[in-house]
Amino acid sequence: MSPAELRALQDALAAEQAASFGYGVLGAHLSGAEQRQARADWVAHQVARDQLTAMITAAGWKPIPSAVSYQLPVAVHSAATARALAIDIENRVTQEYIALVAVTSPSVREFAARQTRATALRAVAWSGNPQAFPGLRVD
Amino acid sequence: MVLAASAGVLPLALTACKGVQVLGTPPPPPADIRLLRAAIAAEEQMVARYAAALHTLKITVGTHPTYPQTVRVTGLTRVAREHTEHLDELKSRLIQNTPLPHGAAPAQLPTSTEDLFAALEHAEQAASDRLIGQLDGLPPSFAQLVASIAASEATHVPYLRNLKAGRP
Repeated sequence: MSPAELRALQDALAAEQAASFGYGVLGAHLSGAEQRQARADWVAHQVARDQLTAMITAAGWKPIPSAVSYQLPVAVHSAATARALAIDIENRVTQEYIALVAVTSPSVREFAARQTRATALRAVAWSGNPQAFPGLRVD
Repeated sequence: MVLAASAGVLPLALTACKGVQVLGTPPPPPADIRLLRAAIAAEEQMVARYAAALHTLKITVGTHPTYPQTVRVTGLTRVAREHTEHLDELKSRLIQNTPLPHGAAPAQLPTSTEDLFAALEHAEQAASDRLIGQLDGLPPSFAQLVASIAASEATHVPYLRNLKAGRP
């Protein structure tokens, strides 16, 4: 694994660690079906985090540790701000997975592409709005 | 990154004694160019499919649309625009010196709203799955574009489901 590939995997792992933290915060401000959706998304991020950790470890490297706490990009104090944070989290993680798609290892690339699709689907579930190029900036 | 589509042109050589000489069967284009051309043809089909769907929906709606019908037309127009953006971006990756083959015309769409949306959802999911299955061996920036389009097309499925139910 090249240093660039390792860095892309570590960046994706860091994004999943932050996402797991963020969902733990935002879920507390939701109720009913939205809270169930947040819980399912939280679990999905934890599973992806563990998969990335295993991929880095299997390649003989040490996964970056998760932070104790994260500064959230959205101050959560209501259901509306909780939804806004969920959208922000999914968009950020999508960007990291699109970066990981550049890795040429077929298994890593396919994993990244499937995760890009999963995070884009979660983003649209929260926002209601699809995007033409999830994770990419196309001018 | 731009991919050149030059391999479809019969290679010719100019020599001093023989003039223009045909070298033989042209080599097949590289896999990434074949995929790019296939992706362009598939996206052209998708654009045509949405144009036909909007035409059908507008006929069904008539001159006095209900709220759910208006929502559906607005939503389909939005998805159609995203497919046009996909097509434009894919085409921008190709230096084209041979005409692109036109894809086959999209299959006839159902006329009932329920079946029409089901057909579009199926086409979107199939397109997303196909693109994700074709990433191996592509240059990094092209793979990123293909993965992003695959994700976008997958997100159209739940969006279409909401539209079918008349939810914006």
